[in-house]
Amino acid sequence: IFEYNGSAVVAMVGKNCFAIASDRRLGVQLQTVATDFQRVFEIHPKLYIGLSGLASDAQTLYQRLVFKHKLYQLREERDMKPETFASLVSAMLYEKRFGPYFCQPIIAGLGQDDVPFICTMDCIGAKELAKDFVVSGTASESLYGACESMYKPNMEPDELFETISQALLSSVDRDCLSGWGGYVLVVTPTEVTERVLKGRMD
Amino acid sequence: MRLDTSALDNHFAAAAGNEFSGVLATDNLPSLEFPEVATCNDFDGFQKATKEMLNHKKGTTTLAFIFDKGVIVAADSRASMGGYISSQTVRKIIEINPYMLGTMAGGAADCQFWHRNLGVKCRLHELANKRRISIAGSSKTLANILYSYRGMGLSIGTMIAGFDETGPGLYYVDSEGARLKGTRFSVGSGSLYAYGILDEGYKFNMPIEEAAELARRAIYHATHRDGASGGCVSVYYVGPDGWKKLSGDDVGELHYQYNPVQEAFVEQQMAEVPAA
Repeated sequence: IFEYNGSAVVAMVGKNCFAIASDRRLGVQLQTVATDFQRVFEIHPKLYIGLSGLASDAQTLYQRLVFKHKLYQLREERDMKPETFASLVSAMLYEKRFGPYFCQPIIAGLGQDDVPFICTMDCIGAKELAKDFVVSGTASESLYGACESMYKPNMEPDELFETISQALLSSVDRDCLSGWGGYVLVVTPTEVTERVLKGRMD
Repeated sequence: MRLDTSALDNHFAAAAGNEFSGVLATDNLPSLEFPEVATCNDFDGFQKATKEMLNHKKGTTTLAFIFDKGVIVAADSRASMGGYISSQTVRKIIEINPYMLGTMAGGAADCQFWHRNLGVKCRLHELANKRRISIAGSSKTLANILYSYRGMGLSIGTMIAGFDETGPGLYYVDSEGARLKGTRFSVGSGSLYAYGILDEGYKFNMPIEEAAELARRAIYHATHRDGASGGCVSVYYVGPDGWKKLSGDDVGELHYQYNPVQEAFVEQQMAEVPAA
């Protein structure tokens, strides 16, 4: 069921910045239905979530998370920290332990003092913190290999963008169910850059 | 040294007065304990499951059509194993002999082997009869071979295209035993998308370049929509003098040729203000 729609999401940490990227294909098994599907969503300007897996669960989960975050903002009069948000997502996913959301989220944000934070979870909420990169989706095995070989610590935002784009494009070229372009967000303490990648459309 | 013949002793008690006396007496026969093995209750289902294991869906797009100047054959080049792309550079158009081509869809090993086998049979026919085999004859040979393996799990969906004395010939042959003569065929998971473009643009009287472009476009659209097709498009033309490879284009580049990237209309742009 994770391979029904097809997806690829990856996040990487650089020097005081992070990048999160996803592919843009929405398919129904082998047929491609859309080539501009959004998988990376903003929660607040320093916190992003990428949701791979079943597309309808990704959209529903995003809407519920935005709802919870807005209530939090009203009560606490500030934005949620990434670590707290990760715990929130994990708890929400475990609530549905015996009928889960078929999604694997990747959470990326700038925490206190703008320290980058990334983590991923499985579909029932097992958190996996990482210091370098996290991957999920149907192309995850290829992504692991590509990121492992291309990643260096403490990259500047431009170099980080190049690295994550190359890792994403080369991995989705080995997967039938993801690709058809890419979408990369690079977030630094002062600016957010979103770029759409030209990829192989087959 | 006296040999130990205890193993040859007969331990079975002979029942007295029994019609079936001797070894076949039903009482007191020590029976051999068979170890516990998993027995297969549904052997037919088990056989089906082992065949299904090797059942690769025909993840590909190939097409061929006849027009006034000959036959055009085109195919993509992606091999997929489930969701994983195992290769983007598979040769799906197999050259059986200098005037006959076969396309590959389904199991790669099956197609490659049986096409080569067909090439052998065609050559033997030529040597035995001092003339080339017709396309009808070679496709019939292949179809008969595949029919005899029907139900054993071969997965082949091929088109035999060529030029013989009666003109251009195109036959669709598959592992279920079907053999169809026709003018336009497309085989594989992406065939539906290719048919849309092919049927729309097809005319019997076309120059070779236009026919090749039609085939290229059809395969390109199939690779765009179908996840199991991609890589490069190869287009071959079969004419009275045999086949010729016309082009092999990477689909990634074809996309941007057919849909050039347009500069987004920028309403306002931030300009660098020189530091005062």
